[in-house]
Amino acid sequence: MRSRAAASILARGGFKEVYSMEGGIRAWKGLAAGGAPEAGMAYFPPDSSPSKLTALAWLLEKGAQKFYGEAASELRDSGAARLFADLAAAEEKHKDTLYRTHLEMTGAADDPQFPESVLPASAAPEYMEGGVEVAKALQWTRGKSPEEILEFALALEVNAYDLHLKMAQRMTDSRAREMFARIADEEKGHLNRLQEHFIRLMTPA
Amino acid sequence: MGVLDYFRPVSTLPAEKIRALLNEKKAGEYNLVDVRQPEEYQAGHLPGARLIPVGELESRLKDLDPNKPTIAY
Repeated sequence: MRSRAAASILARGGFKEVYSMEGGIRAWKGLAAGGAPEAGMAYFPPDSSPSKLTALAWLLEKGAQKFYGEAASELRDSGAARLFADLAAAEEKHKDTLYRTHLEMTGAADDPQFPESVLPASAAPEYMEGGVEVAKALQWTRGKSPEEILEFALALEVNAYDLHLKMAQRMTDSRAREMFARIADEEKGHLNRLQEHFIRLMTPA
Repeated sequence: MGVLDYFRPVSTLPAEKIRALLNEKKAGEYNLVDVRQPEEYQAGHLPGARLIPVGELESRLKDLDPNKPTIAY
């Protein structure tokens, strides 16, 4: 009922194409992100320049790459291990996308010092998408079943997807907005692959 | 919001259709609005959903682009 009322407020407010979801969130049965509207956004300080945001996003990708790369060897399921190796490779591509975004923004031909050229190296622990410390995440995976590890990765990816979509909405700078939208779109693909594999694992042959 | 808003005809789509719509659109090409209360949002929301409780929606319409497809739940 609430969503129908909301949709009619929107329609009356001049919104061109409005839908309400039948059955609300209970009907969704898909991946849901947790946390408050601002969750994770503190990682990207609101007054940061687009260059700094790009460097921060790059560091998250690097953390995720490390997680997937190292967790792959913990996985006692060869299909899941291959998937994690693929995801680690995909994070490398994200890093490259971000690096190229940085070059576009600065107009430089190359910048071998990136991200230190924008963000001074810090002694802070390495974080990955989803706002989790890489070392803690890796420690957690030890001895866990493939199902548990995949479920954890799904939770990380869905929260990372949520965060990047929200960052894309918040950005006023068009380059930063496009950067976050681009990462979010790529993460959507990761999520779908993780989910497919998870479903395969949970379905007895 | 008036009580008549409950009876205004709007397109209602099943969750699978919404999922397909979100999957085919790129980030930033749509508005996805969670009109529930903050505690409900916090417990679980669709990725990228913006929280605007239904009671605040009318006064916050300018936060959203009216030209993009808009999904409320």
